[in-house]
Amino acid sequence: MLGFSILILLPLLTALFCYFVKNLRVQYNVTLLVSLLHLFVTLMVFLGVYHIQLPTFFSFDSLSKLFLMILSNVYFWVVFVSFAYLKRPVTSKAIEGQKYYFLLLNFYLASNSAAVLSDHFGMYWVTAETTTLSVAPLIYYYRNEEALEAMWKYLFLVSIGIAFAFIGILFLTLSANGTLIEGKQLFFWEFIRNAKELNPIWLKASFIFIFVGLSTKIGIAPMHSGDVDATSNAPSPIAALMSGSLRLTALIGVMRIFQIVVPTSSFEFARTILIIGGLLSLFTAFVFMFKVNNYKRMLAYSSVEHLGLITLGIATGGIAFIGAMYHAIYNSITKIVLFLSAGNIHSKFKTREVDKVRNVMNILPKTGWLFLLSYLAISGIPPFGIFFSEIKIFEGILFSDTPFVLALVMIFLLFIFINMGKIIFTMLYKKEGNETTTTQSKGFDIIHLASILLLIILVVIAVSSPEIIYQNILNVGKDFGINL
Amino acid sequence: MPITLLIVKVILIPRYINKIILDLDIKRVVEPTIQQIVFLLLVIATLIVIFISSSIIAQSTELDVIPFASGFSAIAIGIYIIIFRKKLIVHVCGFLVLENGIFLFGTAVASELPMMIELGVLLDVFVVVFLMGIALNRIRSTFEGFEVTHLGRLKD
Repeated sequence: MLGFSILILLPLLTALFCYFVKNLRVQYNVTLLVSLLHLFVTLMVFLGVYHIQLPTFFSFDSLSKLFLMILSNVYFWVVFVSFAYLKRPVTSKAIEGQKYYFLLLNFYLASNSAAVLSDHFGMYWVTAETTTLSVAPLIYYYRNEEALEAMWKYLFLVSIGIAFAFIGILFLTLSANGTLIEGKQLFFWEFIRNAKELNPIWLKASFIFIFVGLSTKIGIAPMHSGDVDATSNAPSPIAALMSGSLRLTALIGVMRIFQIVVPTSSFEFARTILIIGGLLSLFTAFVFMFKVNNYKRMLAYSSVEHLGLITLGIATGGIAFIGAMYHAIYNSITKIVLFLSAGNIHSKFKTREVDKVRNVMNILPKTGWLFLLSYLAISGIPPFGIFFSEIKIFEGILFSDTPFVLALVMIFLLFIFINMGKIIFTMLYKKEGNETTTTQSKGFDIIHLASILLLIILVVIAVSSPEIIYQNILNVGKDFGINL
Repeated sequence: MPITLLIVKVILIPRYINKIILDLDIKRVVEPTIQQIVFLLLVIATLIVIFISSSIIAQSTELDVIPFASGFSAIAIGIYIIIFRKKLIVHVCGFLVLENGIFLFGTAVASELPMMIELGVLLDVFVVVFLMGIALNRIRSTFEGFEVTHLGRLKD
C-alpha cells in the first residue's frame, strides 16, 4: 500500500497542499520532492527491487512498468525546470496562471500514473479523461487568445474522442456475450485470456472506436489537429509533458485493446488500421513541414510524426515492436530538450514565428547549440538513441510482409528532416542585414543544465543499452505474442 | 446508482448551463450553418439508417434494438449538432446529447460497471462541462462573442 500511496495518493495530497499554500517556491520544493520520490519508487519497481501490492483495478505488467518509468522521468525533469520557467517575466494576466500551475501538475501526475497502472477498461477511461482535465487549464497558462482557443479545441475534441473510446469499451462488452466473461468486469487480463472466444465483429468495431477516439489524444492523423494546437500554444514545459508522456498514456489504451486483438482472427484487420494511422501521421507531418512557419508547431508536428512511427512499429510487430518501445523512451527524452530550447528562444524573441527569429547562435549560444543537438537527435543521427530505435523499426518493416511501406516511410522522413533542418538552420544562423551582434553572456541556468543532462542520458542509454530495459521490452513483446 | 445519474445529469448540469446562459446573456436563437429543413431531413435519414441496420444486426447477435438504436441515434445527432451549429454553448449541449446517448447505449449493452467507476465517469462529465463553462466565460470576455467563427486563429 505504501508504494501505491506514493505513486497516486501522494501527488493528489500535494495538489491539495498547493491549493492552500500560495507561496510559489514552497509549492515548487514540495512538488519536486514528490516527483523525486515518484521517480525513485518507479525506478525501484522497474529494476525489480521493490514489489508493490496495488489495490483492485490497478496492477503492474511489463508495459505499465515501462510507460510509468517514461512518465515519471519526463515529469521529474519538467518539474525541475518549472520554477526557472515561471520566474520569467510574463504579462500580468499570466501571473494568474501561476497560481494553479503546480496544483495541476500534481493532479496530472496522479491521473497519469493511475491511467498507466489501471488494468480495467472503466478505470482506464475515467483516469484518461482526468488527464485531459488536468492538462487543459495548463494549456491556457499564457491567458491570451491563442491559448484560449487551443484550450477550448483540445478540451472539446479530446472529450469527444474519449466519448468515442467509451463506445468502443461498450462494444467490447458486447463482444463478450456468450463467452465465459459475459457480464463480468472489464479487466484487461480476463479479456486477453479469453480473447479467442470474443465475437469478432464487435471486437473489430470496438478496436476502431477505441483507436479513433484515443487518436485525438495520441495525435494520430487525421485526428491530430486539437493536439497540435494545444502542444504549440502551451508553455514549453507543458508541451514537453504532453509530447513526452501524455500521448503515451493514450497510446497505452490502444495497446491494451491491440493486445486483446493479437491472438484473434481480427489481428490482420487491426494491424492494417494501425499501419494506415501511422502512415497517415507521417504523411501529415511531411505535408505540414513544408508550410509551417511557427517553430513550436513544427515541434508539435514532429510529435505527430514520431507517434506515427511508434504506431507503425507496434503494428508491424517483430523487431519493429521492440524498436517502437525504444523509440517511445528516446522520443520522450529528446522532446523535453527540444521544447525547453524552443521555450528559451520564445522568451527571448517573444514570438513563435520562424521569420522573426534570427541569429540565435550569436544571441543565445548555449540554447542554440542545445537546439541544434536535439534537432540532430530527433532526426536520428547517431550516437543519439533515436537512430538505433529507428533502425530497428526499419528492419522490422523491411522483413515484414509489407516491405513497400518502408519506402514511403523513408521518403517522408527524409523530407521532414530536410524541412525541419531548413527551418532550424534559418533560425540559428541567418543574420539580419545590418544588425550588430549583441552577444549576451547570460548565466548558465537550470534549463541548460537539465537539457545537457538529458542529452547525456539519451546517449548513455543508447550506447550502453542497459540489459534491464532490453529485458523489460522483450517481456512487453512476449505479451504481444512476439518472440525474437 | 440511478440516483447519482439523476442528480448529475438532470439537475446539476442543466442548472449550470442555464446559469451560464443567464450570466453571459446569450440570446436563445439557434444559428445553424445549414437550412433547418435540411438538418431535419438529415436527422430523419440517419435515424432510419440506424434503426434498420441495428435490427439487421440484432438478427445475428443478442441485442435490445430499441435502446441500442436510440442511444446510437443520440450519439449521431449530438455530432450533427456540434458540426452544424455556430454557438459554442450549443456545442456544449451537443456534447451532452452525445454523452446521454452513450449512457443510453450503455443500458442496452447491460453491463454493470462498478459503482466507483460509474461515479468517476459522471464526475468527469460534470467537470468537463464545468471547464467548458469557464472557458466560455473567458471566450466571451476575450473575443466578445461565443460563436465558432471567432475561433479561427490557429492554423498553418
